[in-house]
Amino acid sequence: MAKKQYIIGTDTGGTFTDIVVLDNDGNVIVNKSPTTPDDFSEGVMNSIDVIVDDMGISKEELLRHGIMFKHGTTVGTNALITMTGPRVGFITTKGFEDTTLIMRAIGRVDGLDAEKIKHMAAVTKPEPIVTKTRIRGVRERVDYAGRVVVPINEADIRIALKSLIEDEKIEAIAVSFLFGWVNPVHEQKVKEIARQMYPDTEIYYSYAHELVPVVREYARANTVIINCFLGSTMNSYVSKIESELNENGYQQPMLIMQANGGVVNRNEMKPISTVASGPAGGVIGGKYFADILGHKNVITTDMGGTSFDVSLICDGFWQFAREPVISRFRVIQPMIDIESIGSGGGTIARVDPDTDRLLLGPQSAGANPGPVCYDMGGTEPTVTDADLVLNLLDPDYFLGGRQKLNRQKAEAAIVKKIAEPLGLSLIKAAAGIHDIVNSYMSDLIRKQLVKAGQIPEGFVIYAFGGAGPVHCAAYASELGVPEVYVFPSSAVFSAFGIASSDVIHTRVSSHRYFMPVEPDALNTHIQNIEAELILEMKREDFQEDQIEFRHTFFLRYRRQMNELGVVVPTRQYDAEGIQDVIDLFEKKYDEVYGEGSSYPEAGIELISTHIDAICKTTKPKLKTYPQAKDDPAGALKGEREVYFAGKKQQYLKTNIYDYAKLTPGNKFNGPAIIETPVTTVIIPPDRSAQVDSYLNISIKV
Amino acid sequence: MSQSNDVDPIRYEMFRHRLFNIAEEGRIAIQQVSGSPAVVEGGECMSSFYDRDGTVIITAAGLLLHCTGCQDAIKKTIEWDQGQTGIHAGDQFFFNDPYIAATHVYDMLVVKPIFYNGRRIAWTASMMHTADTGGVLRGGATEIFHEGIRFQGIKIVERGEFRKDVFRNIVEQCRDPQYVGLDLKAKIASNNVCAQAFLKLVEQYGVGFVEKAGSKIIADSEKMARAKLRSLPDGTWRSRIYAFSHGDGKRKLFKVVCTMKKFGDEATFDFSGTSPQNNDATNCSLPCSWSSFFNALAGFLFWDVPWNGGMVAPVKLIIPEGTVLNCNFPAACGLGPATGGTLTTAAQECITKMLYAGGHYDDVNAAWCPAKGGEFRRFGGKNQYGGVVVQQIYDFFANGLGGTPQRDGVHTGCHVLNPQSKISDVELIEMNYPLLYLSRNQVKDSGGYGKYPGGMGMERIMIAYGTQDLTDNYWPPHGIPWGHGLFGGYPSNTWEQRFFHSKGLKERLAASEYPTGFDDITRSGFGEPYSSDQTYGRIPVKEYDFLADRAEAGGGGGFGDPLDRDPQAVLNDVREEVVSLQVAAEIYGCAIDPKTLILDDQATTIKRKELFAKRRLLAQEVHYYEDNGMSGD
Repeated sequence: MAKKQYIIGTDTGGTFTDIVVLDNDGNVIVNKSPTTPDDFSEGVMNSIDVIVDDMGISKEELLRHGIMFKHGTTVGTNALITMTGPRVGFITTKGFEDTTLIMRAIGRVDGLDAEKIKHMAAVTKPEPIVTKTRIRGVRERVDYAGRVVVPINEADIRIALKSLIEDEKIEAIAVSFLFGWVNPVHEQKVKEIARQMYPDTEIYYSYAHELVPVVREYARANTVIINCFLGSTMNSYVSKIESELNENGYQQPMLIMQANGGVVNRNEMKPISTVASGPAGGVIGGKYFADILGHKNVITTDMGGTSFDVSLICDGFWQFAREPVISRFRVIQPMIDIESIGSGGGTIARVDPDTDRLLLGPQSAGANPGPVCYDMGGTEPTVTDADLVLNLLDPDYFLGGRQKLNRQKAEAAIVKKIAEPLGLSLIKAAAGIHDIVNSYMSDLIRKQLVKAGQIPEGFVIYAFGGAGPVHCAAYASELGVPEVYVFPSSAVFSAFGIASSDVIHTRVSSHRYFMPVEPDALNTHIQNIEAELILEMKREDFQEDQIEFRHTFFLRYRRQMNELGVVVPTRQYDAEGIQDVIDLFEKKYDEVYGEGSSYPEAGIELISTHIDAICKTTKPKLKTYPQAKDDPAGALKGEREVYFAGKKQQYLKTNIYDYAKLTPGNKFNGPAIIETPVTTVIIPPDRSAQVDSYLNISIKV
Repeated sequence: MSQSNDVDPIRYEMFRHRLFNIAEEGRIAIQQVSGSPAVVEGGECMSSFYDRDGTVIITAAGLLLHCTGCQDAIKKTIEWDQGQTGIHAGDQFFFNDPYIAATHVYDMLVVKPIFYNGRRIAWTASMMHTADTGGVLRGGATEIFHEGIRFQGIKIVERGEFRKDVFRNIVEQCRDPQYVGLDLKAKIASNNVCAQAFLKLVEQYGVGFVEKAGSKIIADSEKMARAKLRSLPDGTWRSRIYAFSHGDGKRKLFKVVCTMKKFGDEATFDFSGTSPQNNDATNCSLPCSWSSFFNALAGFLFWDVPWNGGMVAPVKLIIPEGTVLNCNFPAACGLGPATGGTLTTAAQECITKMLYAGGHYDDVNAAWCPAKGGEFRRFGGKNQYGGVVVQQIYDFFANGLGGTPQRDGVHTGCHVLNPQSKISDVELIEMNYPLLYLSRNQVKDSGGYGKYPGGMGMERIMIAYGTQDLTDNYWPPHGIPWGHGLFGGYPSNTWEQRFFHSKGLKERLAASEYPTGFDDITRSGFGEPYSSDQTYGRIPVKEYDFLADRAEAGGGGGFGDPLDRDPQAVLNDVREEVVSLQVAAEIYGCAIDPKTLILDDQATTIKRKELFAKRRLLAQEVHYYEDNGMSGD
C-alpha cells in the first residue's frame, strides 16, 4: 500500500472553523470546531484536534504526512470590520491628498444596498482608514503617457517620511502616485529614499506600482492602504499558525486562500488578497464538482440563514467582480464575483400597511432569535416559518432533529402578521412567502446572467446552504434552468473548495492599445508579465511546464467608459491573431447588448489585461459508489401531506426519504422529499430526480 | 375594499420585483455602452416602463431629474397620433425638445411602444444626457433655436428597422457625431433589452394581470405618498433662493420663491413671486421645472415611496407663465437644469422645515449645494489625439451635504440630482481629454458653519495640456452661496470659476513647482487672472493656461448656531483642515494656539460670551417675506 498522504483544508468562518482532510485513497473527512475570535489560530488548531480524533491518528501523524495545508481565513475581513490594525500613513501626489477622503463621492454609497441609498439625507461616508493627519503630498507628476511633467521633489519625500514615521508614529506606509502604473519611477524613488533614511525601522510598505499597476487612482489608493492596514496583522497570524504546524511535524509550505479563487504560498501572500476569500471557497468547491460532472456553465447558489449568494461559472471558470468593494471601500483586486441579497431562511416577511404589499427582507431574524418556529423569542414570520407551515420541513427532523420547530407559533405569527392583513388563508399566505422569496432569488440570478451576457438555458444550478435545497427547484424552474444539483454529502463546501483549490497568481495591468495593435507590442507585454508570474511560481517550487496561463482581455469601443472582458486563447500574436481578438470582442458585445448596438466606426481599444498563472494541485478523488437499483423504497421513512406553492397551489401526499439510506441510481418522481441531517431536498410535483454515483442528487426541472 | 384586491398580492409582488429588475438591466446596458462621462460616471441615464397611456410605472434612474421626463414625450406621441395608428410595433421615437419633455436639448430620449398580439400595452423609454447638439457653443444662446438640434419624436427605428438615414441626419448635425451616435445606440439597446424582457413577463403573467398590476404600482405609490403627508404637521413654509443670469451683457440677479402649503394628505408648492424669464439660457421650461421639483420630492420627502406617477399625485405645483421657472417659447433653456437646481433647493428647504417640525430628524439636512445657476465650465476644441471634443467635467457631483440636527454634513458627498453621484478618476479624465490636473482637493472653510457644519466642497486646478486648439467659457466670479444654513447655521461658501493665463509654467513644473491651492496661482505668481467687462464669453486657451475653480463642488449648509459647537470638535476640524484657525476663532469662538494647536477652554468660554454680546448689538427688527418689500430684481 502506498504511503498515506493528506491534503488538509481549513476555513475560518464567522461561527465555525471548518476542516477537511483528503487522503490519497480518495477519503474525505470533514468536521468543524467553534471559531475563536480572540485568537483565530486557536480555532484552527482545535479543528485539527477534532479531525484527528475522527481519523484515529495523532496530530503529528496527520501533519507529518501532510503534503499541503491550505487555509482560508477571515482575519483580514475581520480586521476591516472592527477597524483594528496598525496606524497607516499615505503618500501621494501633492494636490491630491484628499483623493481617499473625497472617495469620488461614490464612496458614500459603495457597499450599501439600494434601499439604504434612497434615504439620501441619512447616508454618510465610512470613517477613513487613513485620516487627513496621516496623508502627505509630494510634488511630482507623470502624465497619461508616462511622461514626467513634474520631476519628483526629493525634499518633499524626506519631509513626508520623517513626519509620518517620527511624528505620527505610523507603522505602515502606502504609496500611490497619479499614473504610477504607467511610469513607476517616482514611486521607486520613494522606496529608495525610505530604505536610505530608515533602513532599520520596521515599517510595512505597499507601493501601488508593485501591488496594483492599474488605472483609477481612487480604488488603487484604497487597495494599497488596505493592504498596509492588514499587512502586519495577517503576517503575524500566518506566522503563528505556521510555527505551530511546524512544531507538530508539518514540513510543507503553508498555502493561503485568496479571493481570486486560488491559494498562494504564505511568503508570496498579499494581505489584501485574502479578504472575502471565505465565500470564494464555495465557488471553488462548485468548480471542482463542475469539472467532475462535466458542467461547463454553472450557477452556484448558497441560501443560508440571512442571505442568498450567487456566482457564475462560465466556460469552466468563475467570473471576477468589476469594481469590487471591500467593507465600504472600492478596490482593484481580482475577486470572484459573488452577488448577495438578504433572502435566507431567517428573512422576515411583512405587510406594508399603506399598500397591502407583501414584502420580504432584507431584515432577517438571523440565528438569534431566529425564525418564530425556533421558539427562541422571534415574533416576525420568516421564510423558514412558511416552509414549516407548508410541511416542507419536518418539525422533529430539522437539522437532523437538533433544532425542534414549533409549528403552532409559526402558524400564529403568519396568521396575525400576513394572512389576516391580506385577507388570505394561512396556507395561501405561507405559500406566498415561499413564492416571493423564490422570485427574488431568481431575479438576482437573472441579473447576474444579464450582466455576463448569458442565458439561463445553458446552465446548471448548484444549490448549497441549509435552505438552498428546499427552494432550488422552484427558483430554477422560474428561470428556465433545466437541472439542479444538491450535494448533501459536502456539508462544509467552503473548506472542501479550499482543499481542492489550485495555486493561482493573477496580474491585472492597465494600458491602452488602439486596435489593431502591433502584434509584437502585445507579445512583449504578455511575455513580461508571464515571466514575472513564472518567477513567482518557481519561488513556490513549481516548474515552468506545470504552469497554465489564462488570458482575459478587456476591450471597449473608443470613447466608451466601460470595457468588456473576453477570455482569449493563449498564443503568440500575429496580425491574424489580433483580428481574432477583435472578432471575439465584437461577438461578445453583440451577445451582451444586442445586435446593432455596437459602434465599430469609433474604433476599438484594448484597455487592460488580466493574466492568471495556474498551477494545479492534487485534487481529492471523490469516492464513487456502484450503481444499484432504481427504486428508493428502502430509504422510505414515511409520508406526509405537503402543500406545494408555485403553479400547483395544493396539498399532495408526499413520500419522505432518508438520505443516509439512498444508493446511486435511485430515482424519484416528484413530489418527494429527501431529508438529511443538514438540509431538506424538495423534489416538486412533475419533476424527477436521481442519485448519482457520488451520492449527489440531481433534479430535472 | 380597495381596488388593489383585484390583483393577487403574491403574484403582484413577484411581478413588481421582476419589472424593477428589468428596468435596472436596461440602465446597466446604457451605462456599459455609453461614451459619455456624464452617463457612465455621473449616472445621468434612466430606463423605465409606462402604461399604455404613458403614465410612468417604474423607473430605474441614475438621475432623479429624469424620472418624469419621458412620460411627457410618450403622451405627446399618443396625442399627435390622434389614433391614426402611426405607432407600430418595433418603432422607436427620438426626442430632445425641452418644451415637450425633459430638461434641455441635451437630454436625449428614445421611447418605444410595446405591443402584444397587435395591441399596444405599454411603453419603455430611456434617456441620457448627451452634451453635444451642435448649435452655438454653450452659454451664448438667447433662443432655443441657437441650442442645436431639437427633435419631437422622429422614428429612429421603424417597425424594427434601424433608420440609418435618420441616425446620420441627427448625429451629423453635431460637432462630435461619434459621441452622439454611441449614446443614441445605447438608448436603443436599452429599450430593446427592456421590451423583450417585458414581453416575457406578459407571457408569464398574462396581459390582463400585467396591465392591472401596472395600475396598482402607480396607485400604491400614491397611497404611500398620501400616508406620509398625513403623518406630517400641516402648515405653510417659505423659502427663496437667488441666482445670476447674464442676458443682454448684463449680470442680473433673479430670485426663485417657494411657498409650500401642506394640509392633510396634500401639498401645494407655489412659486409665485419668482422672477420673469431671462434673456439667456438660464430658463426652465415647465417640464424642466417638474423634473427639478421631482428631485426634491423623491430625494427628501418621498424617498421611501416607489418613484412613479402616483408619487406626485397628491402634490400640486404652481408656476406662473413667463417666469424663469416656466419660460415661454422660444426662450433658450440650455441651462435649465441648473436653474432648476434652485427650485430643488427652495423646495427642499420648505420640505426640511416641515420634516423638522414633524420630528423626522433622520430626514433633516440643511441645504445640499444644488447647482450654480448654470455657470459650468465647458470646453471645446481638439483633444490630445487630434479629435474633436466638446465636454464638461462633472466634478461638481462631489458637493458637500448639509448639516443635520444630529451630526455634521458629509464632505464631498453627492449631488442632489443623483443619490449615487460619482466623479471620475482624474486618470480617466486625462486619458480622454486635453487637461492635466494639478490639484483636486477638499476646500477648507467651504462648508456652512454651524453646531453641525455642512460638508466641505471641492476645488480643482487644471491646465490645458496636449492641445493648441481649445476654448473655454468665461463667467464672472460668483457672489452667492448655494447651500443655505438652517436654524442659525451659516450658508456654504461662494463659488468662483476663474481662468488664468500662465507665466512660464512649463519651466516651473520642470523645477518641481506648481500651485496646489486656488489662491496659490496668483500669490505665487503662476498666473494672471483673466478678467473682462463682458458677462460671458468664450476665450481661447493656450496650452498650460489654468482653468481653476474654487469650490467647483460647493459645500453644504450648516445646521444650528456655530457657537453651540463642541469646542473639541472645532479643534479636530482645525487639525483635519476642515476649518482655518481664523474661522475657528472668529466664527466658532474657539481659542486655539496656532503653534501647538491646543484648545484653551476658559478663553473659549469668554470669547463665546463676547461674540454673543456683539451679536446683540447688531440685532434688528425682524422683517418677514410678505412685508419687507425686498426684491431680487
